[in-house]
Amino acid sequence: MKPMLSRSVETNGKTRSKQRLSIDYVGYAMIAPGYLIYFLFIFIPLVVGVYYSFTNYNFYSTPEFIGLQNYARLLQDALFGKAMYNTFIYALFTILPQLFLGLILAVLLNGKLFGRVFSRASIYIPNVTSMVAVSMIWLWIYDPALGILNRMIKVFGIDPIQWLYNPNTAMMAVVIMSIWKSLGYTMIVYLAGLQSIPSSLYEAAHMDGASKIRQFFSITIPMLKPTTFFILVMSCINSFMVFEQVNIMTAGGPLNSTTTVVHQIYLRGFQDFQMGYASAMAIVLFLITLVITLINFKYGNQGDDLDVD
Amino acid sequence: MGVGKLRSKHVGLVVMSIVLLAVSLVMLLPFLIMVLTSFKTMGEIQSPTFSLFPKVWHFDNYAEALSRGDWLKYFYNSFVVTIITVVISLVLNSMAGYSFARLRFPGRDILFFSVLIGIMVPAQTTMIPTFLMMKQFPLAGGNNLLGQDGIGFINSYTGLILPFIAGSFGIFLCRQFFLNFPRALDEASQIDGASKFRVFLQIYLPLSKPILATLAIFKTTSAWNDYMWPLIMTNTEGMRTVQLGLTIFRGETNVEWNLLMAATTLVVLPLVVLFLAAQKYFVQGIVTTGLKA
Repeated sequence: MKPMLSRSVETNGKTRSKQRLSIDYVGYAMIAPGYLIYFLFIFIPLVVGVYYSFTNYNFYSTPEFIGLQNYARLLQDALFGKAMYNTFIYALFTILPQLFLGLILAVLLNGKLFGRVFSRASIYIPNVTSMVAVSMIWLWIYDPALGILNRMIKVFGIDPIQWLYNPNTAMMAVVIMSIWKSLGYTMIVYLAGLQSIPSSLYEAAHMDGASKIRQFFSITIPMLKPTTFFILVMSCINSFMVFEQVNIMTAGGPLNSTTTVVHQIYLRGFQDFQMGYASAMAIVLFLITLVITLINFKYGNQGDDLDVD
Repeated sequence: MGVGKLRSKHVGLVVMSIVLLAVSLVMLLPFLIMVLTSFKTMGEIQSPTFSLFPKVWHFDNYAEALSRGDWLKYFYNSFVVTIITVVISLVLNSMAGYSFARLRFPGRDILFFSVLIGIMVPAQTTMIPTFLMMKQFPLAGGNNLLGQDGIGFINSYTGLILPFIAGSFGIFLCRQFFLNFPRALDEASQIDGASKFRVFLQIYLPLSKPILATLAIFKTTSAWNDYMWPLIMTNTEGMRTVQLGLTIFRGETNVEWNLLMAATTLVVLPLVVLFLAAQKYFVQGIVTTGLKA
């Protein structure tokens, strides 16, 4: 604490330093309730979760320390491997189209087009609604016998497809719904990024006779690099948390083709009560997000460029 | 040449506007299907000939849907949980954020750093220990001092609300906001001899509407839409939230799509209305934090 106080003396001069040196004890009281909640429900559970991951805790008996056995078991657990693979596939196929479509929509919306406000709201609304509600709507769209999608493809002479009930199409069906749901998010963040690009750059390019397409590739895309990186990081983290749509629409099936890491944590922890083993999965999940976040700290600029207004 | 160029520019704008409008309609289509289905009869839904619009609008589907399960209770639960979570979280996060931004006391920076760690911890990582802690909370729900014999905070509003009334994200958001306030604000008030807490109440809070609105919207969305925590924390009919209520229809062997879509419409409606009324704050929340609700 001392160095900081002396620094404030230097920077603020003698008259103010007297006030600065006083300690605001009321600060402890104002922080206490919020910090207590944080400490009880985030910090302690994290520490306890690490501890459980080294035990065979099963909810009914007292936990016994078993070292790295849970982690060794994870490496051999084919189902967990499958869940990991599915989660990666989900991340890859939701993030890339979202980046591409989100950027195009943001560029369109950034222009002076007719119906901009309406379009922005319509594209964003799926992101406001709950994953449960949205899953119900898409269950209905994908319904093999009565759903609108199979009714539509029938017009083109295509036989009904078992979208969510076929291991080959189930994950893609979930992915398409998820792209639809979070496209608005990508679009909004890109829109903010676009608005932070100085218009003088485009004016100069225009003077030099650069076409709109050339401007897009030589100014827009490079200037949006931090935004793209930021969306990539946030989307990666969000993709690793995927659970609700999978639990509701497919329950991980058919043939485990849509089970994900969080879905496995839920099943092992709250259906089988293998709390120790599920905790090891949860810690792996934490380490993955930690690595992504640290990459963001090192190479991203924390979305500094995203400030609106 | 000038006129021709201008005209082609206009044509381009019109074409792009039409493309954008088409995209918007595609995005809205699932919601349109939801609403239109909610007014149909099951006979119409099962008929071999498909029509987008219902032949007769069956408004009574909504009453019928709400009679499947105790929907009055589900909505009541969701409103209670959402409102209490939002109000308390605004108070606790803004107070902590202000202290971290403006007050000086030993250990402040270490405490803040420890809060920052929480931003990297996904709720899915901590849900097992948090659940166990809620169940074994001493003296709650028939528990003894050691947290045994009872159900703790399971099946209680406290259990649904407590973990969400403060957190790294909210504290961080408020701190960053208060850091941007001019220092002169404090110095002027200190000359008047106002206490730090009064400075917060009378000077900082009235100027914090944008950040409080952003945080309130974020918390409302996440509390209303939450599925996983109520799924884990509750197992009685009387404690279900609206999101869990929707899954009742899914459990039936023959799904009555018209009723499910009617209930879904009602569950979605409050947030859609809120979004249309306060779009600015939804967007601001995303843009300043990058977090999805």
